[in-house]
Amino acid sequence: MDRLILTATDRERIAQRALALSRADQTEVLVSTADAALMRFTHETSNQNVASSDAGISVRAIVDGRTGVAQTNRFDDEALAGVVSRAADLAALAPRDPLQGTLPAGAPAAAPPGAYDAATARMGADARAAMCDTIFGEAERTGCWSAGFAATSSSGLTVANTAGALASFDGTDASVNVKMNGADSTGFAEAYAAAAGVIDASAVARTAAEKARASAGPRAVDPGEWTVILEPAAFGELFIYLSDHFSAQSYDDGSSFCSEGLDRRYFSENVSVYDDYSHPLAPGMPFDFEGYPTQRLTLVENGVVRNIVTDSYYARKLDRPNTGHALPAPNSYGPQPRNVAVAGGSKPLAQLIAETSRGLLVTRLWYVRPVDRKRAILTGMTRDGTFLVENGQIAHGVRNLRFNASLLDALRACEFSQEQRRTGSYHYSLVVPAAKIAGFGFTSTTDF
Amino acid sequence: MDSDGHFDHAAGRALDTAVAQGAQYADVRFEVARTERIEVRNGVVAALADSTSAGFGIRALVDGAWGFAACREGGDGAIDAAAARAVALARAGAAVGRRRIGSAPERAYVDRFVTPVQRDPATVPLGDRVALLLEAERLLHAAPDISVGRAWIDLWRTSKYFYSTIGSRIVQEILQSGAGLEAMAIGNGDVQTRNYPGDVGLYQSGGWEIVEAAALLDGAPRIADEASQLLRAPQCPSGTFDVILGGSQMSLQLHESCGHPAELDRVMGWEANFSGTSFLEIEQLGKLRYGSGAVTIVVDNTLDRGMATCGYDDEGTRSGRSDVVREGILAGYEMSNDTARAIGRESNACVRAQSWDFVPMIRMCNLNLLPGNVPFEGLFEDVRDGIYMESNRSWSIDDRRLNFQFGCEIGWEVKNGKRGRMLKNPTYAGMTPVFWNSCDAVGDERSWFAWGTPNCGKGEPMQTGRTTQASAPARFRNVSVGTGYDG
Repeated sequence: MDRLILTATDRERIAQRALALSRADQTEVLVSTADAALMRFTHETSNQNVASSDAGISVRAIVDGRTGVAQTNRFDDEALAGVVSRAADLAALAPRDPLQGTLPAGAPAAAPPGAYDAATARMGADARAAMCDTIFGEAERTGCWSAGFAATSSSGLTVANTAGALASFDGTDASVNVKMNGADSTGFAEAYAAAAGVIDASAVARTAAEKARASAGPRAVDPGEWTVILEPAAFGELFIYLSDHFSAQSYDDGSSFCSEGLDRRYFSENVSVYDDYSHPLAPGMPFDFEGYPTQRLTLVENGVVRNIVTDSYYARKLDRPNTGHALPAPNSYGPQPRNVAVAGGSKPLAQLIAETSRGLLVTRLWYVRPVDRKRAILTGMTRDGTFLVENGQIAHGVRNLRFNASLLDALRACEFSQEQRRTGSYHYSLVVPAAKIAGFGFTSTTDF
Repeated sequence: MDSDGHFDHAAGRALDTAVAQGAQYADVRFEVARTERIEVRNGVVAALADSTSAGFGIRALVDGAWGFAACREGGDGAIDAAAARAVALARAGAAVGRRRIGSAPERAYVDRFVTPVQRDPATVPLGDRVALLLEAERLLHAAPDISVGRAWIDLWRTSKYFYSTIGSRIVQEILQSGAGLEAMAIGNGDVQTRNYPGDVGLYQSGGWEIVEAAALLDGAPRIADEASQLLRAPQCPSGTFDVILGGSQMSLQLHESCGHPAELDRVMGWEANFSGTSFLEIEQLGKLRYGSGAVTIVVDNTLDRGMATCGYDDEGTRSGRSDVVREGILAGYEMSNDTARAIGRESNACVRAQSWDFVPMIRMCNLNLLPGNVPFEGLFEDVRDGIYMESNRSWSIDDRRLNFQFGCEIGWEVKNGKRGRMLKNPTYAGMTPVFWNSCDAVGDERSWFAWGTPNCGKGEPMQTGRTTQASAPARFRNVSVGTGYDG
């Protein structure tokens, strides 16, 4: 035995024990479990090969509109009694929040197909090492050195509360991430799936190596306004910074680009964005961290912002429906989209490139940060495969550039590829197409 | 058995099991971490939370490859399983790896370290802590246009018990505390934010005295007023200017353009796919003119109130002080045992794990720019046309740590040695060695301060590190300003 995952039955039993111990007016219990493993490599050698198992309980006690939260990762009787009473003790010290109402009762919410893969949950160190070995072979064949990882994980969450909500979800995840390094160029590719079996590590390695080869001998180009084609990994790095703008909290406090109102056109007609936990490329949890069913939402319909996401608190505050997008308590971020998908366009990526007379094809971005919140001006660098496109053809690799551009402006001058990919990093997972954007501003270059 | 020996049996079992399974070296780190957070947002207590997490992580070395396994449960069965898993992971890595990069530490210690604390936060009633934040946050709303006010306190108490097969047994009790304020003004079609005391608050090792030093009630009216004024302030101009950076922005500048590129694992390509590599190549050691003669940067994990201050790192190496940049010349790196050996040096104890369930790796610890001899006011004296900037708002640097662009919350014109009108949206950019070579003055010891950062990210799986970059304000000549709004 090397994994210590709690089953849904285990978690529900723990949650019910905790609820039975609580004397608060209302109580919510989250029981989580996770087992994650990752082999990281550099120069065709494992420099980290890690695995961890954890589980935890988080108790939110509400007493007369006052809220306290306590957490532990022990489940013995003493620990459970302690965490329940600590949450209530903390609640007694908080001032009353008049908007703190009744916890949602919850409702059935079925997990989408494909969210859990037993083989991925069982996958061992040798299987991940074999994926890495495949990548190493590709690096050696192409004269590159490789860096990246192969990872698998399984996790589960149960939410229960005194209003009757009881929801459990188990999911798996697998990913391969490869950067191939040539003498003066690099290339990147990635793959994510709920099932490790559908990931072709060899194909990922070949794509990364081909990008490193094709961008060898990069030449400098001048900064300025360019037509860019951002591949999904690059576009996802940008788009994630818009996600918080769809939070009811940002909308309410006035910091969102759409705080001026919904049902208005903010982007060009070809921009449609959804929050969809059942997307086949990224099947996720069908309820939120209050145990309330998550709605599949249209956030942007043909350029018009239609919805923001709420939780029970902001639904009450803004007199809007609860869309089931609560984060775990406590948090100061408000409700957030969790499964954002940008709709694809009508043309394949190859056609978007072929129709470009002069532009830059960008594989990946790095260190994207907001410069100006309200206008969604973002800065960052290109990385791991940036190419000049001339007369519809990829001409050669170029040195990396820094951009400073408004994402709002970009979404008014863009078209998307038919193909959508799941992309992500430690802090997000998105489904996005490639995006071709006119007038994208670059302000400087770097030495490689 | 003394209280420090609480984990002796479990540690012995873990290490014995790892060796029996084939490990040539192993270490195990038990941790009990308690975190307390209180956050007030717009008059409402948005967080009043108390969390305890306990578990252990075991590291095993097999044929030059490391395996790491962590588990929350401390029973014999779980310990045996985790030790076996660590060895299996190491063996799987060794089977496919083309190189041997891991080696066992050679020096063992038996010791104890406790963070110096003036006032244990546990002696401050929780109700008083909540009341302090409610009052500080309330003061933010005295200024016009403040749509969002936030005030928070974080308290982190970590007990670590480290054991290794070469005989180390190290107990550490580490206490880190932090507090801060944020005022967000919205109006005029704009959003402007001020944080206090630094851009993330004030985070240091120590107890309640850190929260007191943050002086939230004193700072609230000023930053709320500044956030409000910024809505109507003129835009920072674009062009080439002399720039004076306040202390907390200097901390960020150091962090991104020296702290990260000087991590030796990054230099050696171990972070290449994510955080990137570094322009501070090993062949440049002792030769590269990183900055001007005014620039001396050290790793000092014994620094008073440093967030990374402790007795030993998470590989069991004793804390000390060493040079990274000496009078402008690249002199060293932040190192682990494995990476230090690769360049013929000894580790300078820069290995940390976020918590028991994360593998120890090289992290920026306390990396400090030593003070100069110019009083703060003196930095302005011979600036004819410049910008003074404070408190970071935006930070970005390329994946070799050369091309950077940073933005600050607030700026002021400097004309003929005098600070003038307030400017909004100041940004500046440069190439790291060019920028540091343009540094012609660093503030003196009176303006030198240990600015802590509680949320530095690195690694995969991603880990959060707590680090300090002590610095004084400093002056840089002929800097590109306003680039963030030039796109």
